[in-house]
Amino acid sequence: IMGGHDAGTQQQFTGVAKYFNSFTITGRRNCVLATYATIATIFLFFKLKPKKQPAVTEK
Amino acid sequence: MMLNLFDQFMSPTLLGIPLMLLALSLPWVLYPKPLKRWLNNRTLTIQSWFINNFIKQIFLPMNTEGHKWAMLLTSLLIFLITLNLLGLLPYTFTPTTQLSLNMAFATPIWLTTVILGMRKQPTHSLGHLLPEGTPTLLIPILVVIETISLFIRPLALGVRLTANLTAGHLLIQLIASGAYFLFPLMPAVALLTSTLLFLLTLLEVAVAMIQAYVFVLLLSLYLQENI
Repeated sequence: IMGGHDAGTQQQFTGVAKYFNSFTITGRRNCVLATYATIATIFLFFKLKPKKQPAVTEK
Repeated sequence: MMLNLFDQFMSPTLLGIPLMLLALSLPWVLYPKPLKRWLNNRTLTIQSWFINNFIKQIFLPMNTEGHKWAMLLTSLLIFLITLNLLGLLPYTFTPTTQLSLNMAFATPIWLTTVILGMRKQPTHSLGHLLPEGTPTLLIPILVVIETISLFIRPLALGVRLTANLTAGHLLIQLIASGAYFLFPLMPAVALLTSTLLFLLTLLEVAVAMIQAYVFVLLLSLYLQENI
């Protein structure tokens, strides 16, 4: 094995890292899409969350 | 007596008629069109030499798909350089000090490069929003940062040109007013101020050309990333 910096292209990724890593172009693309999807989900969750109505009591 | 330093940046009007169209069409009027003769005159030769050198400089690193943009970017460069240089003449209006004009140039062209990139090579365009080798924990933060830096590009382009030209014109007016008012009071200081004004004017001529070139160069770089 030669010394020096490994560019990452020769690494064999397994499992989730095969699809989500910051070395291959498809891995980077998937990470970006996953980040956008997470942000959109959090935004939609708070947007669509039903607001709590205070209980109406008769005096 | 209070000088109004910002009158020079107001859009010119004459009897209520806006003269912006006149100011914008002036570069078109100044340049000669190619002759039908076999040999060109000196003006046309210099013009062709300049355009050819610019095209070689900008488009050699680009692939052939991007060469279709040569006419757009070259005409944009010549337009911006001419507007900037004409604005350095006394009592003229510089359209490129208006943010609206610069944003109108920057935003559509930048958006075109982004849309082209997303259409032709979506994986590469999206993949470039995350730098290679980013540690796992930093991935979401860097994606957000890179997205923000992508969307800030047209704003940076427009504001860079506006700010450079506005600042230069303001400085010229300030120092010229200073030299003028100091002359009867302290002639020696006024002479120094005039020397400073001369040097500043030379700098502004350089800035006028460089800023137009930087504007077009950055647009060509954004195109190179996406084409």
